[in-house]
Amino acid sequence: MNIFKNLYNYREFLKTSIKKEFRGKYKKSFLGVLWSFLNPLFQLLIYALVFPFILKNNVENYTVFLIVALFPWNFFNLSIIQSAACIVANGGIIKKVYFPREILPIATSTSNLINFLISSILVFLALFISGIGLTKAVVVLPLIILIQYILQLGLSFILSAITVYVRDVEYLINVLMMLAFYLSPIVYSADMIPSKYLPLFKLNPMFHIIKYYRDILYYGKIPEMGSVLLLLFACIIILVVGYLIFRKLEKRFAEEL
Amino acid sequence: MKNSCVAVEINNMSKDFIIYADKANTLKERIVRFSNNKKEVRHILKNINLKINKGETVALIGVNGSGKSTLLKLITKIIYPTSGSIKVHGKLASLLELGAGFHPDFSGRENIYFNASIFGLTKAEIDARLDKIIEFSELGDFIDTPVRTYSSGMYMRLAFSVAINVDADIILIDEILAVGDQRFQEKCMNKMLELKKLGKTMVFVSHSKEAVEFLCDRAIWLNNGVIQKDGKTKSVLEEYIKVCG
Repeated sequence: MNIFKNLYNYREFLKTSIKKEFRGKYKKSFLGVLWSFLNPLFQLLIYALVFPFILKNNVENYTVFLIVALFPWNFFNLSIIQSAACIVANGGIIKKVYFPREILPIATSTSNLINFLISSILVFLALFISGIGLTKAVVVLPLIILIQYILQLGLSFILSAITVYVRDVEYLINVLMMLAFYLSPIVYSADMIPSKYLPLFKLNPMFHIIKYYRDILYYGKIPEMGSVLLLLFACIIILVVGYLIFRKLEKRFAEEL
Repeated sequence: MKNSCVAVEINNMSKDFIIYADKANTLKERIVRFSNNKKEVRHILKNINLKINKGETVALIGVNGSGKSTLLKLITKIIYPTSGSIKVHGKLASLLELGAGFHPDFSGRENIYFNASIFGLTKAEIDARLDKIIEFSELGDFIDTPVRTYSSGMYMRLAFSVAINVDADIILIDEILAVGDQRFQEKCMNKMLELKKLGKTMVFVSHSKEAVEFLCDRAIWLNNGVIQKDGKTKSVLEEYIKVCG
């Protein structure tokens, strides 16, 4: 439980790191933080134009159907890609100063969480404009966000540490994320998957998370809580295992960088 | 009771570095060079046993490559020992390399916050020390310009000012003071003497005989990764000079 004491002692550094991640991202671009809105909006626009043609589905309000899944996916995607690089990118200070190394993946994941919470304003806007609105199912939403955050934190511990030893991971992740995008029910709905492949799809935690977002926001129904809690439990295990791997690998960071 | 007066305790500690002739960082390189990757294990520190008591000011001396900086890095936990253990009792601040933990695009003032937070201070604690740090660094108006515009002497002044003002119990300083001008070096020496009187523990790497004699009661001579001699500054220095000139 040393980690909590350590993080508490270094809370100021954690705060400045989160701020630095958040501010630094769009610092040199003309439109600045606006890009964190514009980027996903353009992406949404493109997908909303392209996929109805390809999939020939008759989903009502496809744009809303898409946005409730696409924004959480972007949160996952950016968080994972950035945290894979976060230790290597900060090699300079790791080699010269001591601080709890876990601050770096935590800061990356958390700044992405903040970014996601801000951009989710657009999701709610879309829900109201389209007339779908919100139901009381939305009370479960914070839990789903928490589960996703725990999952991402766990994965970022593993990936950021492994990237130090094998730099390819950083690039491999990009490819895997592209694959995972199509393996999660983002542009299509979960019940379009042939039932004989369904168990395979269900191994992907993002499959469930995306489905829950859509259940809550688009269909306005509360997901089956038993399986939500099971997923929470699984993600906590990923976090604990991820942290243990990180602890094991962090000892040689300064030498490998 | 015994532990309460010990600041740093090192038991049977060894550190090896694995030196690759050409380090493979990517998978491709790893596979291609799988068979002919020359690597060599270098024993940097061999079976070090060391106890530094609270309030002691210790100089580490030795020729280049004898393991002094590695020992400091091990004590700060930047790297970890291959075997054996290192225990540190108390809050530690280290000044190992020039401008470590500085962000080149941030101003001196912002870097004080950034750097001091790496040492584990909260914002309120830094606020309270800010004026003292700026005053000691003698940077004046430069404090609000980005540190990439600083000279190495200015870098050192800022880094030193932060490190001695974070109220650490143990302060580790590598050979960096040499960058400052004569007057500032003397100022640092006096400040360190002041800290010593306050009962702080200091470990100090230096090639300057005068500085070591001025400041330290104890000197440790590292030679090829082993402690050659450990004792009163005067006697260790005498022998060191006899052997190494």
